[in-house]
Amino acid sequence: MTIFAPLRPRIDGFGIVLTVVLTLAIVAPLLVVGVWAFTDVWRYPNIIPQQFGLRFWGQTLGRSDVWNALMLSLQLSTVVTLLSALICLPAAYAFARMKFPGRDLLFFSFLAGHAFPKFGLLVAIAAIFLQLDLIGTFWGVVLIQLVGTLMFMIWIPVSAFQAVDRRMEEAARDVGASPLRVFWSITLPQAGPTIAAALMLSFVGTFYETEGAWLIGAPAIRTMPVLMISFINNQMVIQYGAVLSVLLWVPSFIALIFARRVIGGGAFARGFGG
Amino acid sequence: MSDRAEGAVRPLANTAASRRPVGLLLVALPVFLVIWLVIWPAISAITRTLWRIDGNGHAGFDLSSYAFFFSDRYSLDNLAVTLWTTLVCAVLLLAICLPIALYLRFARGRLPAYVQALAILPMFVPSIILAFAFIRVLGPNGVVDILLNAVGLPKIRTPYLTPWGPVIGLVWDNIPLTVLILLSGLGSVANQSIEAARDVGANALRVFWHIILPRISNSILVALSFSVLGIFSSFTLPYLLGPASPEMLGPFMQRTLRDLQDPVGAMTQAVIAFGFCIIFGLFYVRSVARNRGA
Repeated sequence: MTIFAPLRPRIDGFGIVLTVVLTLAIVAPLLVVGVWAFTDVWRYPNIIPQQFGLRFWGQTLGRSDVWNALMLSLQLSTVVTLLSALICLPAAYAFARMKFPGRDLLFFSFLAGHAFPKFGLLVAIAAIFLQLDLIGTFWGVVLIQLVGTLMFMIWIPVSAFQAVDRRMEEAARDVGASPLRVFWSITLPQAGPTIAAALMLSFVGTFYETEGAWLIGAPAIRTMPVLMISFINNQMVIQYGAVLSVLLWVPSFIALIFARRVIGGGAFARGFGG
Repeated sequence: MSDRAEGAVRPLANTAASRRPVGLLLVALPVFLVIWLVIWPAISAITRTLWRIDGNGHAGFDLSSYAFFFSDRYSLDNLAVTLWTTLVCAVLLLAICLPIALYLRFARGRLPAYVQALAILPMFVPSIILAFAFIRVLGPNGVVDILLNAVGLPKIRTPYLTPWGPVIGLVWDNIPLTVLILLSGLGSVANQSIEAARDVGANALRVFWHIILPRISNSILVALSFSVLGIFSSFTLPYLLGPASPEMLGPFMQRTLRDLQDPVGAMTQAVIAFGFCIIFGLFYVRSVARNRGA
């Protein structure tokens, strides 16, 4: 094994094997989806599609259920992200900067959701929503997705507020700036990018949230992933699913790469307990 | 790593001198949501399945829903396939991710950067798109069948709609976080200690067993706990890729609740899932809390 001899340069055989295997196992399936999206005809057993084309883009985008689901998903993600920011950011500021009784206990209470297998917890919540008549409603889905965003919408901004240089804030106070002015001109610009990343993670995560939407929302609330489930289950035209995948995945991919860069890989892994 | 990232591991700063209840007020709403929608449902699921109203309107301690689960052939088969899937996924994940993480930790050059990008890519692929890609590649007449046919080989026995379907999907889905957690653990292994061991003649295997493994055993447990919690009650991938019967607990709970309209049955299944995962859950939460510096 070459991997324990970092200082001696030699052909990285293990690395080449890993690269090939991972490319085949991880990139290739996604490429297949991409090819399907731009295919008009691809019948077994041809290795490459008989006919490429954009015919199914028009058909997919012409479906009213696709548009309804897209609009609903955008609405849900926007509402959940805004609500989450509204209740979590002040809380994050308080956790980072203020002292109050029970602060550490409350801070770690957001971990509670991670002590349970997720879908089991969703079922337990659904049983309560059943009594409250929240099943199949927009706000039921909002609530369940909101809970899913709480932990990182608090933990990531707390790190951001803690990383702000306190000396700059104090200097600004010394020359007579009001607390609000300090927050607006010093604190927010420094913490801003990380908070923006948390917001983006929350938006994209909510957009793709499938299990809560399916369990709580069905059948009235059909979000984009829920629509994809029915496209896959009902074996409709293959290209519909492929077009939707490409359409929906590319923007979120860019957003998530950006978010990860801002948050930093190491902190990201530690956030998950690594 | 940026300074922001370092901020993430710093313990909570005790900076503000004021001890005012306004902080409590600011955190009240999210804390209320956690209590209402995490802690209360879990408690309620336990109490509502144990303390039930019988036919005569008397409330009392009642284990009958659990007795039913553990005597029902179908429920037990579902539990068995869930345990099997979780175990196989955990073993496969470790077997796949440990070599990747070791490679990323000790290799130099450009190739590791590419390998890392590949290993993290699944994190950015929603499971619904993964399920679709899986069917197009490994499903009947998928790309693998097409390629095998082109070189004159018989088709594969497709894992789609068999217990191996969810296994492949779940392993794929869990590779990024497992690699990241293991890699973060490997960061604490000093190069000097490895070089010292090699200088006295230890081979790669002995270095791994005596130097590296003891230092990353905690990270391995964290990675395993995290994936076990996710896989044990996974829903989307088993629902789309797995067999209709026996089904994993995730789809089983969903069907019991929504199709059979049996909340008590579904909550019983959820509580049983809690029970099987409690050790992993507590361990995971403890590790994350410790990392954040309580």
